[in-house]
Amino acid sequence: MFTQTLLTGLAIGGIYALMAVGYSLVFSILNFSNFAYGSIIMLGAYIGYYAMVRMGMPIGLAIAVSIVGSGLLCWLNERLAYAPLRKRKASSLFFMISAMGTSIFLENLVYATIGARFYNFPELFAKSNLEFRGISIGVLDVFAMVFSFVAIYGLNLFLQKSRTGIAIRAASYDIEVCSLNGVNIAALIGLVFGLAGALAGISGMFLGMKYIVYPTMGWITNKAYIAAVIGGLGSLPGAVVGGVLLGVLETFVSAYVSSVVRDVFSFSLLVLLLMVMPTGLFGRFLEEKV
Amino acid sequence: MTQYLSGILSLGLIYVIATVGLAVFTGFTGLFSLGHAAFFAIGAYTAAILTYFYGVNFYLALAAAGVMSGLVGFLIGYPTLKAKLRTDYFAIATLGFGEATRVLLENLSITQGARGLPGITNYTTLPVIIVIAALVIWVAWNFVHSRHGRAAIAIREDFVAAEMMGVNIFIGRLRSLIFSAACGGIAGGLFAHYFCFIQPSMFTAYMSTQLTAAVVAGGMGSISGPVMAALIFIGVPELLRVANIWRLVAYGLLLVLIMIFRPQGLLGYREISLSGIRDFFARFRKGARS
Amino acid sequence: MNSLAMAGKPTEVLELRGVTKRFGGITACKDLTFHIREGQIMGLIGPNGAGKTTAFNLITGVYGVTEGSIIYNDQIINGKRPDQIVRIGIARTFQNIRLFKNLSVLDNVCIAVDCHETYLLGAACLRLGNVRKREKAIQEQAMEYLAAVGLEDRASVRANSMPYGYQRKLEIARALALKPKLLLLDEPAAGMNPEESLELAKLIRILHERFRLTTLLIEHHMDVVMSLCEKIYVMNFGVKLAEGSAEEIQSDPEVLRAYLGEGYKRAEHP
Repeated sequence: MFTQTLLTGLAIGGIYALMAVGYSLVFSILNFSNFAYGSIIMLGAYIGYYAMVRMGMPIGLAIAVSIVGSGLLCWLNERLAYAPLRKRKASSLFFMISAMGTSIFLENLVYATIGARFYNFPELFAKSNLEFRGISIGVLDVFAMVFSFVAIYGLNLFLQKSRTGIAIRAASYDIEVCSLNGVNIAALIGLVFGLAGALAGISGMFLGMKYIVYPTMGWITNKAYIAAVIGGLGSLPGAVVGGVLLGVLETFVSAYVSSVVRDVFSFSLLVLLLMVMPTGLFGRFLEEKV
Repeated sequence: MTQYLSGILSLGLIYVIATVGLAVFTGFTGLFSLGHAAFFAIGAYTAAILTYFYGVNFYLALAAAGVMSGLVGFLIGYPTLKAKLRTDYFAIATLGFGEATRVLLENLSITQGARGLPGITNYTTLPVIIVIAALVIWVAWNFVHSRHGRAAIAIREDFVAAEMMGVNIFIGRLRSLIFSAACGGIAGGLFAHYFCFIQPSMFTAYMSTQLTAAVVAGGMGSISGPVMAALIFIGVPELLRVANIWRLVAYGLLLVLIMIFRPQGLLGYREISLSGIRDFFARFRKGARS
Repeated sequence: MNSLAMAGKPTEVLELRGVTKRFGGITACKDLTFHIREGQIMGLIGPNGAGKTTAFNLITGVYGVTEGSIIYNDQIINGKRPDQIVRIGIARTFQNIRLFKNLSVLDNVCIAVDCHETYLLGAACLRLGNVRKREKAIQEQAMEYLAAVGLEDRASVRANSMPYGYQRKLEIARALALKPKLLLLDEPAAGMNPEESLELAKLIRILHERFRLTTLLIEHHMDVVMSLCEKIYVMNFGVKLAEGSAEEIQSDPEVLRAYLGEGYKRAEHP
């Protein structure tokens, strides 16, 4: 039972981590909460669904389409809703409102056009389980977990090793100094949003397969924000730890207490943690420069 | 027809009360609440349960709704504001709070879960709403035009400088939050006794969105702006009979457009005044002549 | 304590004892030890990045100290919040002006005057009792502080629409409105030309006497520092470099080296 719960928790934690990393990536560079991110994840699920079910693509191709589609959407989101504010050097509050607006717009646009119907992915391997010494885990869960961690590892490699990745990390410390050093900030920010969108595509796809596809998948994408805050906003290792931690703890609460108190639990965990560590587990130094 | 119009006005003014509350918090302290519908819900349930199960006098129940929501505002605000959280952290904490509240309402026996409470007596009439709305606006106006309001504004403008002016940031924010929550609670109490039926699914992101949109569109740091915006946002779509879902699409788009083109909103940092209206028309006439 | 005893032994308003501040691995201030007597104007100078503003942030509670203690009127104040420190009589201005930009000049000062105002929230919301009268008094007081720095005719202007020099004066008016005993000025003459800065020095002198202040001043304009300060504390790389009167500092070889670099002698005697 314990190992079983732990594995299930890790599987969902992997997806949480993926979402939290994408969201935290944007935060680390522009310093605001991109609340539109949840909607991009939701759209990623729809794109994946259409590619796979309506157009009959194989799963690998569908994931690729979802990644590209979400990446483009996320990039477009930045160009349309944030770039004008960035040029004006608006305060992060305005960015946040714009992000909220985008999220509300996208979510309800899907409602109004596609409708509130639930869509199910074909049960490719949703029902098939791997059995091992009495522990059973869904093939999908294993696949999602592996894929999530591979994607995160790949992103980390890119940020650590490539020139562009180093430029992104530099920009997350000081965007102005970075631009003075000849980095094209607009292109860099576009790339960051594209990358975040790509992660959204993957996580949307897995969430859609694990649960169902519908407009307000928000209840689960909100977990991305909570996980990122637990880890410390803007910290990518923090986002991974926060996501996995949240996934595992939630699964344990569902299994041993009740699934009803699960969401109340994640919220209480968040508040308690912030009381003790106001910047999350791996948050950056937050003493304001005076 | 008159009944139809009075219906729109009633609903509009109930929203005005909650919007004024949110304006005092978000517009004057710069913190965002993404779960404000929860205060509305808590007020609605408190008042309804008191009159429905215990036969308490309506006005007492309404007061209790305000007190209860204010108290919950205190309980949420104390830990989250004490830690001097960044705006983003606080917004996410309230997001979690909103969800947690809905889950609790869906699972408590006194609230009759997701089925909701039908058959609440219709005590809320238009004159009652008008009087209470006027009272709330007056009190909010006095609040923001006192030293306590100035302290909140100082926190929004520059919290480091505010602290250096002897403003206790924690108390300043907490006070605004409690006030705002209490307004939400009263609006909720009126709402419950207007529709005579409440269920948890009424108090979702839809409501929080509408409130936030009204505050932002009306103008941060203004009372009269959000009041007008709330009336417009309820009135115009009702009169045009726009489907709910397209309203939300429009709200989302509106938030983004406002941030891009007119971040100060309808009346940012200003209020409607007689001299202001005179100046406006004077300019208008001058513009027409030239 | 009678006044004779007070006169016999000048009181120390502020004292720093071995104050150290580290940010991670960086030591911004190390072992700062100095004191200011009542009524003194003391200068805190040093090259950019010497840790002067950090010292202000430590005194006003914006940062917590890593080691050492800060004593104000025989009371240890490190560990207190900034707003508590303001209330016991320490006010400051900011190097990079931090006005409430979107508010009027008058409102900026009113917020500071509010610091010692006491009417309660309930009374305010319902406009009970003397709230209206108190509000009027607050505005009048704020006008007086504006007049003290010569900004009374700009009361209704939006703060960030004023020229730079006036914004600095507004910062001073705002700090004065907190009724401080100890005033910390962080580069009040930054960005001013020599004439303007000497005029500002005069104003600081007048305000210092009129409001019976003790003043600690960070400034790069040496003519301002030399004309105002009885005592100067020089910092470099977070540590004390020298301490003494204006004359002593001007002839201190360590100070000259820090300011002019190793080659200063050659530059003086080519």
